[in-house]
Amino acid sequence: MWDTIIIRPIINLLLLFYKFLGHETIVAVALLTLLMRLLVTPLMLKQQKSTRQQQELHPKLIELQKKYKDDPQKLMEEQRKLGINPMGGCLPLLIQLPLMIGLYQGIMRVLASTPLQLLALPRDIYRWIPSFSSLIPLKSRFLWLDLALPDSLFILPLLVVVTSWFYQKLITPPAMDPQAEAMNKQMMLMMPLMTGFFSATYASGLAIYFLITNLIGILQYYLFRQYYTYPTPPASDKKPPAQKRPQASTK
Amino acid sequence: MSLWRTFADRLYQRGKMRRMSSAALLLLFIVVTGCAGGSLRHESWPGLIVADGTIYAANLERVQALNAETGKLLWSYPDETDKNIRPFYSTPVLAEDYGDHGLLLIAGYKDGTVYALSLGETRAERPDLLWTFAGAGGQYVGSGVVAEGKFIIGNGDGNVYALDLADGGQVWTFSTKDRVWATPVVVEDTVYIASLDHYLYAVDIATGAEKWKLELGGAISATPVVVNGALWVGNFTSKLYEIDLATQQVAWTFEASDWMWATPIAKGSILYFADVSGHVYALNTATHAPVWDAPAVIDDIVHGRPALSANGSLLFVAGYEKGVIHAFDAETGSEMNWGVVTRNPGRLPGDLVTDESRLYAMPILVSERIQALDQEGGKILWTYPPVEAAK
Repeated sequence: MWDTIIIRPIINLLLLFYKFLGHETIVAVALLTLLMRLLVTPLMLKQQKSTRQQQELHPKLIELQKKYKDDPQKLMEEQRKLGINPMGGCLPLLIQLPLMIGLYQGIMRVLASTPLQLLALPRDIYRWIPSFSSLIPLKSRFLWLDLALPDSLFILPLLVVVTSWFYQKLITPPAMDPQAEAMNKQMMLMMPLMTGFFSATYASGLAIYFLITNLIGILQYYLFRQYYTYPTPPASDKKPPAQKRPQASTK
Repeated sequence: MSLWRTFADRLYQRGKMRRMSSAALLLLFIVVTGCAGGSLRHESWPGLIVADGTIYAANLERVQALNAETGKLLWSYPDETDKNIRPFYSTPVLAEDYGDHGLLLIAGYKDGTVYALSLGETRAERPDLLWTFAGAGGQYVGSGVVAEGKFIIGNGDGNVYALDLADGGQVWTFSTKDRVWATPVVVEDTVYIASLDHYLYAVDIATGAEKWKLELGGAISATPVVVNGALWVGNFTSKLYEIDLATQQVAWTFEASDWMWATPIAKGSILYFADVSGHVYALNTATHAPVWDAPAVIDDIVHGRPALSANGSLLFVAGYEKGVIHAFDAETGSEMNWGVVTRNPGRLPGDLVTDESRLYAMPILVSERIQALDQEGGKILWTYPPVEAAK
């Protein structure tokens, strides 16, 4: 089911791009990643809007929590009256996630870094599209890289870590309390390290995917930055003060 | 729905929704990408040969020699104290006429190294390391061939290396544009090399100079087979080609149902082969006529080379994903009631091998990695390690 709906269309789209873009795997991966990011952009913006709304209502929420600390039912009712949908930020993320994981899996399968991975590929290729089988295996050489193997010079993993960190820094909303602040710091550290670790360990085609995803994410931030502008948290709510963010104009 | 809503409200009230979704994202990513670690992950398929009652098997961490009749372990190389995981997948090659008592050529997958082991006076004697060759830049997947004092083997770096059997010195290197997973084939003074770069190359065995090459439109991972002076090779475009070595051209093409990955096996002028979607064919190479009324079909991927029973009456084909070995009447293609279905057969990506009475298989993802079966009924005769020890 997962393969039929998500993975196979992605793999065959990648093969189509590869076929018509000069048999350059890296170009096909870049274009597909861009396409997927564009596809999930409305969801991403919806999620961002919801996050911002929740940030704006945070002071009011604190008040309500104090007022109805002994009456959770009433508190929930009041929250609903404010128009807060607890799923508002989560649902778009949950829809985006399968697509992004599918993209990652599709790239890994089509690069087939090991013989056993290549053996699994025939069933994923649409036979009704002529000549797809003759494209296999995809050209894996690009500059110093073999896209099917980890980058031996560690240049790509380093780029992935740097861009992941910068992207995380851009999109992380200011924390409203010390606990959230600690969580943010953890995420800022963990995400870049995790993607860096995967990039150094697995096929460099995956690192290319991470890198392009980050770069597109950064570009999207600057294109839609009004969605990333948050109210300044009240000084009494958190210490130390809110993290500094790149200047963004509010529309 | 209201229960979920209440649950979500409570989470939100406690300020945990965002943190949970972040944690779930991380966890899901790790689970889906299979990056949670674990034991040695299979990346290729192991192979074995049997000669003079001894099995030589590339058994992942080590290459092992076993008594073919009993499955008793004779020796392992490297020994148990060596914890370096190479691992070994490439089918070992026996060069009986070289060294004092013969050489065994083995190749590591990740360390990209060929090892020449000098065999002892008896097959039970642990061999000595004679030389190594670590000049390749990629992984060894396919096996090699011994001819004219050389060991010739393809590598994942796209090169084929010819090594001097006496000392492992590099005699020549031939470069292709993609990985070489097929075993080179030698006919007289020519080495035929099939590459994933879509080409079949004919190379001079003495110098490594290219004689000619033929573009076949798709990647070739199966080892070519020589029948009646012609070379037969399948590729990823679902075609099996007959190559006329005199004219250096495609003489005839057979269209299969799917990718041709498994190396064919020949008996006289009959060629048996299978495609990855489980269609099994028998072809008369002289007349180009199918031997069976219709191809036999198994509901599985076929990757490993089929094998014929000692008397040639049965054709054994291994299903990769279900790990079941199927036996067909070699004359009619009818499937026989053969074999024992075990609870966890693992997977069977490698070639099947037969001798006078037994069929050998190397399943992956099971403890009993080497198995000997009775050719007549399919009963498991022994496993290595033995079932009790494996448990």
